[in-house]
Amino acid sequence: MSQATTKRQYAAIPPQQGEFREKGFFSKLSKQWDIQLMVWPGILLVFVFSYIPMYGVLTAFMDYNVFSGAHIFENPWVGFKHFEAFFNAPAFNTIMRNTIIVSLLKFLIGFPAPIILALMLNEVRHMAFKRFVQTITYLPHFMSWVIVGGLVMSLLSTENGSVNILLESVGAINEPINFLSINEYFWAILVSTNVWKEIGFASIVYLAAIASVDPHMYEAADIDGASKFKQIYLITIPTIMPVITIFMILAMGNFLNAGFEDILILAQNPALRPVSDVIDTYVYRVGLQNAKYSYAVAVGLFKAVVSIGLLTTANYLARRSGNSLW
Amino acid sequence: MGMKNFKKPLLLAVSVVLILATVLAGCSNGGKNDSSASPSSNAASTAESSPSASSPSASSETPAPQGWVFGSEPLEFSAFTNYDWQDFPAKMEDNPFWKYLKENKKVKITPILGKGNAAQLMTTMMASGDLPDLIYGNRFSPDVSRLYEAGKLVALDDYLDKYPNLKKFLDNKFIDMLRMPDGKLYQFPNWYTDHSTNTAGYVVNKKIYEELGSPKLETMDDLYAYLVQVKEKYGKEVIPFEPDRTVDAQGIGLLYTGFKEGALYQSLGSQIMGTVTGDKLTSIFADPAFHESQKFVSKLYREKLISQDMFTQDRGKVLEKLIAGRVAVYAGSGVTTYASQGHYELIKSDPNAGYFMIKPLVKAGLDSSKVFTGGYDALGWNVTVITTSAEDPEKIFAFLDYNTSPEGMAIQFFGPEGGNWNGFDENGYPNFTDTYNVKEVADIQTKNDFVNIAGNSIYIDPAKNKLEDSKPADQQNWQARWQKEITWPSGNDITEFRTNLNPPADGALGDTLQSVSDLLEQILSESATAKSDEEVDKILNNADTAAMKLGYQALLDWRTEKWQENRKILGK
Repeated sequence: MSQATTKRQYAAIPPQQGEFREKGFFSKLSKQWDIQLMVWPGILLVFVFSYIPMYGVLTAFMDYNVFSGAHIFENPWVGFKHFEAFFNAPAFNTIMRNTIIVSLLKFLIGFPAPIILALMLNEVRHMAFKRFVQTITYLPHFMSWVIVGGLVMSLLSTENGSVNILLESVGAINEPINFLSINEYFWAILVSTNVWKEIGFASIVYLAAIASVDPHMYEAADIDGASKFKQIYLITIPTIMPVITIFMILAMGNFLNAGFEDILILAQNPALRPVSDVIDTYVYRVGLQNAKYSYAVAVGLFKAVVSIGLLTTANYLARRSGNSLW
Repeated sequence: MGMKNFKKPLLLAVSVVLILATVLAGCSNGGKNDSSASPSSNAASTAESSPSASSPSASSETPAPQGWVFGSEPLEFSAFTNYDWQDFPAKMEDNPFWKYLKENKKVKITPILGKGNAAQLMTTMMASGDLPDLIYGNRFSPDVSRLYEAGKLVALDDYLDKYPNLKKFLDNKFIDMLRMPDGKLYQFPNWYTDHSTNTAGYVVNKKIYEELGSPKLETMDDLYAYLVQVKEKYGKEVIPFEPDRTVDAQGIGLLYTGFKEGALYQSLGSQIMGTVTGDKLTSIFADPAFHESQKFVSKLYREKLISQDMFTQDRGKVLEKLIAGRVAVYAGSGVTTYASQGHYELIKSDPNAGYFMIKPLVKAGLDSSKVFTGGYDALGWNVTVITTSAEDPEKIFAFLDYNTSPEGMAIQFFGPEGGNWNGFDENGYPNFTDTYNVKEVADIQTKNDFVNIAGNSIYIDPAKNKLEDSKPADQQNWQARWQKEITWPSGNDITEFRTNLNPPADGALGDTLQSVSDLLEQILSESATAKSDEEVDKILNNADTAAMKLGYQALLDWRTEKWQENRKILGK
């Protein structure tokens, strides 16, 4: 099941059989040509669109002129100028703080949420209801942020917004609250909208993992008198732990991606900037809208380096539990 | 988080640009260089293309000083609109004016469509060197100056005398203002004008106004009293004051202009971002009139007399409210389009309903004839440039010249000659026929809006007025009537503030401009929704300190200098 077990199996192969393995490797490849056919376009795509353009990060150390096109070496080298400019930018502290807080909130709430939903759905015995809930929860994933943002803005509007009407009718408030203009509410709105949009889709993989749990273990636990909660805690969660770990490592690698479209759309009011401005929205506004490409690349590179660091650390920690990515 | 982890818009965008650049550069490196290198290659290509043309043009083959006759031989070029929300027509036949050009003037335009992503396409085209022959877009977009700096634009000076319409209508000093640092003209202005084209103002809901006894609406105090009355009578059903999308100042900016004679609406935008004090631009955050107007706005906000969603709503919502008649007073920097849509919708069910406009509101004691709700620029907003990719830039200029000529303008606005108009009167304006079809003309104008790239307000506005003036006021087109009665007279000439006031984006001043305009946007919202008058002062004073730390004073000084240079060019 886990990487660790596979590794142990390979380690068990005696060295003299290596030759045989090499031969078997290619015959194996040709035997699974149909599967290979599905993999190669993906690899090609990643190679063409992610690896070939990667030399473009060098423009972070240049003053890139867009008319030089792909001939980036025509541009003058400027060293760490753009990195310094970013670290010294007046907005740097606010942006880093917001990026980290928003990421942290999205991680702490958005990461466990689909796992909890999957565990809950797993206990639903009424199949039709389960399917219904699953469909309803994963549908928002396929809506663009423009639509979701519009929906949220209408719901929270002070003029005929459903949330305000509801709160007023139950007497919780006397006057409509301008939710999307108040700094204190922004993170809560952002994170809950994200959870609402992604929870169902993210839970699919956990549901699949749960489905692979051996039913005999539950039967045995039943006989031993374990409650439902005990079964979840002692059987389901430990069994799907490798999946959870791998997704957690991936999430760590994305830690500085606090979001882009969601914030851009929900934080329409500039007064929210002290809490809403994150690296990506800043780069979009300052770097791309003003065509400061080198600057934008430098910030992107900074983000990527931090992400790789976080990913490696998370992987190192996970390796101790035997569930690492590599 | 789970699956949506692979979002790296920045890297993605940069990668896409670069990969496209690689691919396109690979394709186009071959023969592109020589066309930009020698201007003399133009002559060769003209000679090449002309034998295929019909015989009458053969005589005009020799370089004649009066220029090439537009329509005499086929003309082909590519054209691109550098706006996300606008494109040239995909097919020439889809557009009345371009259809006419195709059928009567042997023009074949290949549109390059941004399809909602013009900025990205523009960057890609720059990076690949594969530029469209003609680019239409925002005069203040950094793209124009980048194209100029890269030597990708064709100077138009040699054509000005040969194709004289621009020179004939637009005063030379304005043409001079459009010149680039090397002293040459590269931009052909759209909607250049010699009169106010302001469409900012206050729109009042007629039915509500009459139901409340048609009170006097001249000062800010009148406005406040009226809004209170509206709220008392209609409660939540009606928005007392609708300031449009205030992220762009709009209604809030209009109120600001009412607190000081000669105040500029554009003081609150990144274009000027300062207040005029004598012959200097000074900090907008320290402007007493701005403090005063934001206190007024925040009072309206606290007392729920102004749209509470003003900083978050989109314009669709504003239009929806206007059409439903749920707005008592509407104010913005361009109100006539939406208000007229609302007006015609409302009078469908009640002929006495609808909207009308009032003169600029002022703080008690100020002279309303010295208060301007908006400014106009003699050079308009958009320009067309011809790039070095064009095989024959002179002929493209001839095309622009035709667009801006009386005949071209008349066809764009009233259709081909022989339909709604026939020939010109002694002043050069079209003679309208008895078969003039109001609906058809409105339709033609709407459809041609996207191809009006060399709009000549100096000619077409009097031509339109000639028609409207012959009708009684209540039968006139809503927009035409209120523009003439209210918004045009309440606009002032701000041409001197509009050109060359943007510092280069990649210098220290560019950084300051970016940071301070971010700050201004934020502060505009914070002070408009402040909890008390004292808080407004506090927010603005703190902003002033913060802005100065960001280098605001240097930006103001630099802009003052450029503004004074403009004044000199304009002879002021």
